[in-house]
Parts: sequence; C-alpha cells; structure tokens
Amino acid sequence: MKKRWDQVGWNEVKRIKWKEIGWYLLVIMITIPFIFPLIWIIAAAFKTQAQIVASPPIWIFKPTLNNFKSVFMEQDFARFLWNSSVVAVASTVLSLLLGLPAAYSISRYKQQTLGVFILVARLMPGISFLMPWYILFSKIRMVDTFSALIASHMLVALPLIVWIMINYFDGLPRELEESARVDGCSIQTAFLRILLPISGPGIITATTLSFLFSWNNFMFSLVLSTHRTKTLPIAIYNFVSYAEVSWGNVMAAAVVIITPAIILTMIFQRYVIKGLTVGAVKG
Amino acid sequence: MKEVRLIKAAPAFTEVITLSAKKPFRVNQLIEKNIKWLFPLPTGLFIFLMMIFPVLYTFYVSLTDWDMISGGRISFIGLDNYVNLLKEPRFFNSIKLTLYFTIMAVGIEVVLGVAIALILNRDFRGKNLVKLILLLPMVATPVAIGLAWTLFYEPTIGLGNYALKLLGLPASQWLGSSKMVIPSLALVDIWEWTPMITLIVLAGLASLPQEAFEAALVDGATPLQIIRDVTLPLLRPTILIALVLRCIDALKTFDIIYVMTTGGPGFASETLNIYAYNLSFNYFRFGAASAALVALFTLVLACNLLVLWMRKTYEL
Amino acid sequence: MISKKRLSRGMFLTIFILSLMAIIAISIGAAPKQVTLRFVAANHPYTDVIKPLIPEFEKKTGMKVNVENYEENQLTQKLTVEFTSRASTVDVFMTRPLQEGRLFYKNGWYHKLNQYLPAAGWDWADYPKSIVEAVTLNREVYAIPIVTEWKTLFYRKDLFAAANLKVPTTLEELEAAAKKLHNPEKDMYGIVSRGQRGAAVTQFSSYLYSFGGDFIKDGKCVIDSPEAVEAFKYYGRLLHDYGPPGVTNMSWPQAQALFASGKVAMWTDASVLIAGIIDPGKSVVADQVGVAIFPAGPAGARPFQVVPWSVAVAAQSRQKDAALEFLKWATSKQVAKTAQLNGLTMARTSVWNDPEIVKQLYPGLAESANLTGPIAVPYDRPLMTAVGEARDAIGEVIVKAIETGGQADIASLAKIAAGKVDVLLVRAGEGPN
Repeated sequence: MKKRWDQVGWNEVKRIKWKEIGWYLLVIMITIPFIFPLIWIIAAAFKTQAQIVASPPIWIFKPTLNNFKSVFMEQDFARFLWNSSVVAVASTVLSLLLGLPAAYSISRYKQQTLGVFILVARLMPGISFLMPWYILFSKIRMVDTFSALIASHMLVALPLIVWIMINYFDGLPRELEESARVDGCSIQTAFLRILLPISGPGIITATTLSFLFSWNNFMFSLVLSTHRTKTLPIAIYNFVSYAEVSWGNVMAAAVVIITPAIILTMIFQRYVIKGLTVGAVKG
Repeated sequence: MKEVRLIKAAPAFTEVITLSAKKPFRVNQLIEKNIKWLFPLPTGLFIFLMMIFPVLYTFYVSLTDWDMISGGRISFIGLDNYVNLLKEPRFFNSIKLTLYFTIMAVGIEVVLGVAIALILNRDFRGKNLVKLILLLPMVATPVAIGLAWTLFYEPTIGLGNYALKLLGLPASQWLGSSKMVIPSLALVDIWEWTPMITLIVLAGLASLPQEAFEAALVDGATPLQIIRDVTLPLLRPTILIALVLRCIDALKTFDIIYVMTTGGPGFASETLNIYAYNLSFNYFRFGAASAALVALFTLVLACNLLVLWMRKTYEL
Repeated sequence: MISKKRLSRGMFLTIFILSLMAIIAISIGAAPKQVTLRFVAANHPYTDVIKPLIPEFEKKTGMKVNVENYEENQLTQKLTVEFTSRASTVDVFMTRPLQEGRLFYKNGWYHKLNQYLPAAGWDWADYPKSIVEAVTLNREVYAIPIVTEWKTLFYRKDLFAAANLKVPTTLEELEAAAKKLHNPEKDMYGIVSRGQRGAAVTQFSSYLYSFGGDFIKDGKCVIDSPEAVEAFKYYGRLLHDYGPPGVTNMSWPQAQALFASGKVAMWTDASVLIAGIIDPGKSVVADQVGVAIFPAGPAGARPFQVVPWSVAVAAQSRQKDAALEFLKWATSKQVAKTAQLNGLTMARTSVWNDPEIVKQLYPGLAESANLTGPIAVPYDRPLMTAVGEARDAIGEVIVKAIETGGQADIASLAKIAAGKVDVLLVRAGEGPN
C-alpha cells in the first residue's frame, strides 16, 4: 500500500509510543492558547463582578445568570440581536443575488479587469467610505435606515462572494453547460438550472463567510447605525463606555455576540476554512 | 439529457417578463447575446456607487480645505493638505506605528502559523476538532475579543499580570505603557490571525506534489531536511499570498485598536487608520482626513506592489 | 442528481422580490400619524432621570418622543456628521457648550432661543448669570443649561481617619496624603485622576489654574508658561508616583470603577460623578465617601465650575414649535427638582434652596458647591472651536508627564502643544487680533 508522503515523515519514523504521546501533548499545547481566552470569556459571563476581579483568579465557582438577565432586561439586547440578524441576512442574500451572476460571467468570459476592480474593494480602507456614504445616503434620505447599513455591509460581502464563486466556477468543468447548450438551452437557463444546483458547496462557503463578516462588522455600523438600527458590536461597545465598567455584563454580551458565530462555524467548519483560504492556494 | 430538455420546455424567466411584448424571442435573444455584460452589471453598478464614488470623492475632498472648524466653506487648495501632513509629527508617528504593528504581528503570525501547520500536517484523531479551535479566534467578533483582552491586560485585576507573576516576571502596564501598547495589541492580532496562516499552509501542503517527497525519502533525507529543502521552497507561493492577505488587513486594523486604546496612551497606538478616523470624526477636518486616507491607501497598495515585485524579481 | 438540488427559477424570483420588499418596508417604516420628536441624548444621569418622565409629557401633549442616547464623544460625532450632511432629523439634542458650543454655533446648527426666553413658566431668571453666559455667544442664547459640575476632591473617610490624616487643603498636602496612603503591594493607590489623552484635560484644568496657569490668553495658547509647566510636572508626578497602573488609559469610568472598588484613596474629578460612588449597589465604599473642595495651589484654589450639559433645539428641525415645547418641559423647574432629588446637581438656583432637596443632599456636597462658586473658573478646557484637537494636543503633554513622573522635558513639549493650539485658533479665526 502506498503511503502519503506526510504520513511517511512522521508515522513511519516515530513508531515509538511515547513519541506519539509527546506529539499529542505538543498539539494540546498549541491549541490551548487559542481556545483559552474564549473559555475565559464564557466563564466570566457566569461570574459575579467580585469573582471576575478577584486575584488570584477563581477557577471554580457557582455560575450566576444575573449578567445575562441584565443584558437582556436592562439593555434591550434582544433588539440588537434582531438588528444584527436583519442586516447580516439581508446583506448576504442581496450580495448573493448580485454576486452569483457576476462571478459566473467573470469566470466564464475571463473578465479579469472586472475581477480586479471588485478586488480593489478589499484593499480600500473602510474609513474612506464612511463620510462619502453618509453624504450619499443623506441625499437620498436613507441615513436612519437599515438599507444604508445593509448596503455598507454588502460592500464587504459582495467582493467576498464574487471571489469565492469565481474560484468555484473556475473549478467546474465547462462541458456541463456546453452539453446543455448543445441541447438548445439558453445561457441563463444553463446557469440557473445546471450550474447553480451543483454549486451548493461554493454558495454555502460564500454565504457563511459573508454572514460572519457582516455579523462582526464594527466600523461601518459605528458611523452608519443609529439608535434604531444599532447592531450588536456597537451595543457592546456603548456598554463599556457607559457609566461603570461591569465586566460580567460585558462578558455576557460578548458571549451573546460570539455564540452564533461559533455555532455557524461549527456547522459549516469545512466551508469556512475553504472560504478563508480561497485564492491563497492554487490547487 | 432528458432532464435538460424538460427544463427547456419550461418558460424562461426572461420570457415571462417579455410575454406582454409579444416578441419574447427577440428580447430573450438580446439578453442572451449581452449576457456577459448584463450578468455583472448590477454588481458593477453597486461597486461603482459604493466604492468608486467614495474614492473619487475622497480624492476630491483631499484637495480642499473642508473642515467644520472654519464654518464649513469648501475651497480648493491643491496639495496643501498633503504638504501639511508631511509637516505633522503625528502623521509620521502613525505611519511608523502602522508599519511597526503590521510587521510585528504579521511576521510572528507567519512564522508561528507555518510552524503549527507543519506540526499538524498528518492525519490524527481529533484533527477536525483542532482545526475548529483554530477557526474560532478568527470568527469571534473583534469588538468582543478586544474587550475581553482589555480585561486580560487590566494591570491590577487582569490575567496578564497574574500570568507574569506565576512565571516570576515583573508586572507590565500592557496597554497603559507607550512601549508595551503596540506589542500588546499585536499579540491580540496574532491570537486572532495566526490560525489563518496555519489553515492556508495546511491547504497548501495537501496540494503539494508527492513525487518530490518520495524522491527525497529515497535519498534518505531526514524530516527536518525535507521541510527545509523540499516543503518550504514548494510552499513559498502559498506563504507569500497568505502574507499579502494578512498585510492588507493588518495595515487596516481598526476594531481592536479603537476598542482597546482609541490610539492611546497619548498617541502611542494611533495608527494611520485611527489617525484618519480622529481627523474626520473627532476633529471634523475632512480635507486633512481625506489626505491621510489617500496615504493609507497608498501604503496598502505599495505593500502589495512590493510583494509582487519581490515575487517577480526573486521568482518566488 | 441535478434535479434534486435544483433551485427553481420561481424560488429565485420569489426570494429576490421578497427581499426587495422587505428592504423597502424596513426603510419606509410605519407612517407617522402624530408629531414624533427625535431627542438625541447623552449617556448621562440626566437622561436616566428624564426617560421615565417622558410618558407623562407624551400624555399631556399627545406627542411621541423618541429618545436615543450615545456616549458623549459619539454624540458629538453623530450630531456633527448628521448636521453636516444637512439631512438631519434631530429635533432636540443634548449638547456640551464648552466642547461643541462654538463649533455648532458657528455652523448655525443651534436654533437661537432669545425670543422664547421670556415665556411664561420658564423662569429664565432662575439661572445664575454665570450659567447663562455659558450658553451665550454674541448675546445669543443657543441652549438651555441642565446641570452644573465643579471640580471636587473625593476621599475615603475611613482611610483618612485610620492614617490620622486631615483633608488636604493645599496641593502640597494632597501629594503628602497620596504618598502616605499609597500602598501598591496591598492594591491600594494614593490618588487617581484622569490620564487619558483628551479626557484628562478637563480634570487637569483645575491643577493648571491653581498653579496660576491658563489655556488661552488674548488669542494665544499659554500652556507653555512657567506656571503651566509646573502644573504639568506636578500632575505627572502625582499620578506617576501615587497613581494606579494604567492611569494613562483612564477616563472617568475607569477612575470611578477603581474608587468604587475601594482600590484608591482619593479621586479628583467632576462633582456629578459622586452618584456612582455613593450608590451601595455599585460601590463597596459607598458609606465612606468624603467630599472636599479642590485644594489650593501656589495661585490659590481655583477649581472649575461649568455647565457640562445643556439642551438645544436643532436649527434643521422641521417641527420647531413641538421641539420648543419639549425643551421647555425638559428644562422645567419640576423636572429639575426630580433630577436634583435623584442626586444630580442642576443649574437652576431654585433647586438649591428647596428645603426638601437640601435635606437630601449628600453631606459636604452643598458646602463644596457654595465654597467653590465664588472662586471658580467657568471653563474646564480651552474656549475655542477646535476643542477636540486642542485637547488631544494638550493631553499628549499630560500623558508624557505622567509616564515620566514629570521628568520629561515638559517645557519643550508644552511649547510644541501650544504651537499646535495656536494654529487651530488662527484657523478658526480666534487668534490674536
């Protein structure tokens, strides 16, 4: 049986058991720093203020739900949660609607100029958009609306989706559509009926990432969101600058924000990795 | 094939729209002919409106004296904003800090990320779990992460100093000290983004040709020799692209710095992005802010061109 | 295989139309049937007091009031951006006369109030003259003052008693007391005051005045005067030697949290912040808070007393009559009394004479107000349009002074900062004549 080279390097040479154990310890040592802060945040969310600020830190404690209670009762976090969801879902769906055909066309007709043009959006510092946007949106009386916020988040989502999907479409064999075209199928039909249905993995990747980026966006919402359209990242930031610093509440709010992102990542782990590494590896 | 014919029989999306025109075929054909323009048109328009307009507008404003302090009148002043920026120590300070932060963070991320990828590059039980854990820092909301790290860095109650104490090291002021603030912020960025390098390199490793390794093994090379002489050279393009991607984002880092220090103490962590933000949204000097933003854009672009040039020159 | 995963055209179309409709519906929202006012407020105790009272106002007038509140710097930002775009829907807003008063006045964003002041029931005479001046530019009143605040020294009664210390009356005694109570080994720090770049300037001001310095004189920035340099050095030394770690990142919330958790013996900041440290729910030292007048420096005791917040009507508002009605109510004697009973220090004279209120005041607070009044300086930051940038320039010197314990070359740093402020003054047309 032929072994893959990477298995050869380690598995064959290091048969000895204790080396194997040592290797697992190494992996654990590598992983702990990445997971520990998150565990700490979650733990702190269930602590009282006194337990959080205690030095040396308290590792075992009786969890309290008070932080979450005050986050949802006093701070209206449910509404911010809703706002964040509306913005993230709408910006993702709209970006898919605009981006999928564009990606298809760029991939099939090799419209590289357009591709680069869209990529520049990724290079630009987001701050430079804010003031012009504000003026643009106020001219069309859209400042205090979700539309303005959604449009701004789409500028992050759209290039992302287009680039992920160009990559995906490039990898699909052309014969698929061509045979459909021979049968007299129009390009639109071929795209809608043949290509999209088998693009599930690519679309899931694009959708998940686009949702995550919108969910986490702080800068655009900082300037464009108002009281009515306040999203979670802004809410938690306001939280800190207001009156006393209640770390328990802050951590509870942090958990509220992070949890959906984590769950989504757990479900679509494979796709998220694909999306984050797309374009970096020429397959 | 049968499936395809069935689809053809169904009325097309565009046909439905043009039914009333009673010339469905011609309009449909028109769309069909121009589909390479029609498909990307909405995206193109959107990007133009949301990006090109702001960019042009930023360039235009950077040539004016628009600020709210002198009453909001706008007049054209040519390159004065740029000249003034060059006279402003805060501007140079912010460029220095931006580069310092980026080089420190991305440098460590690449070394660590590649090293971790090389270690993880084999099949083992729980590989998916490890990958998931590595993903979490990247997908966790930066603002929330920034706040949590602020608590870690809190000099009196934070875990940071507690850890130092356990290690027998003197306490640090972390974000409170001009010297430590950038390394402290860079550490957060490293925590967030090292996994990205790792995942990219892991994907790259999986796509490397087997033959080179087999040949090396036949020659009796040790694992370390293989890594040095075969793996890393083959990985170079992948690492380079990962580096560029990280540089672009690190140069533009905003969320964690704004949340954790807003550029303080003093101006010790005021990167170009934060400086531009202060100029426009705290001082309301839109002209000067636009000039700073053009500078930031140039910096990001220059960084990319530099890497591309390096790639060409050294045939990486 | 293909047919299973097919995304039908109908679905595609439906999603598209539905999402478009959703967006349109969201942006239009429910059509307003009644007068709806938009009141943009700050995160401030006054907002907390007035919010539960608003339904009362709504019932009386049939209007609807939407309150939004933002952190103070974000508030300035939001308002400025919105007014600049000339598409503002703000009707009434809270505003800081010293911070953005000149900026907003200059750009014509305040609705001038002079003609309405004699209105019945408002009792404009109830405001002391100095307070009226704080919201007046070119004889035009642009906002109605809400609260006053002055520089105070908060201290821990128990610690002072245990150390057999008396309350400092001079800056020398302040430093000595800080030194004596400073015990970082036991997590106890002598004194805290703001050290964060821009935020520190207002609290540094009283130190500056008490050393005989000032921000601006005859259109020139004078924070490089020998007196000012001494003040920088003193403030830097005080907080470096006897302050908590990380003080250069501290504004009032952090300082307040530190005092409330019992980790610091003294705190100099604005009087209004007492609310957070005498509330047993938030403070472990609630019953040990002492309030004293700011200590005297070489030039005597010169604490600031200012109008930090006022309420104004937006010039761009399209329903000014309704906005004015709300303004009148929000600044009325009745609301002021409720606020004062909730621990605020209001700008109206009448609330200070009300026996019901006097009885409730925190011991020492009224006294410190009475003592501060006659000697106070009516501003806590440079009086100019580009306050934000000037504060950052001056704040940088403060941070450097704290970092080096006053050992840095403060004189040259202050000179550089003064030069920057001068440029800003000239640009705004406020330079020397």
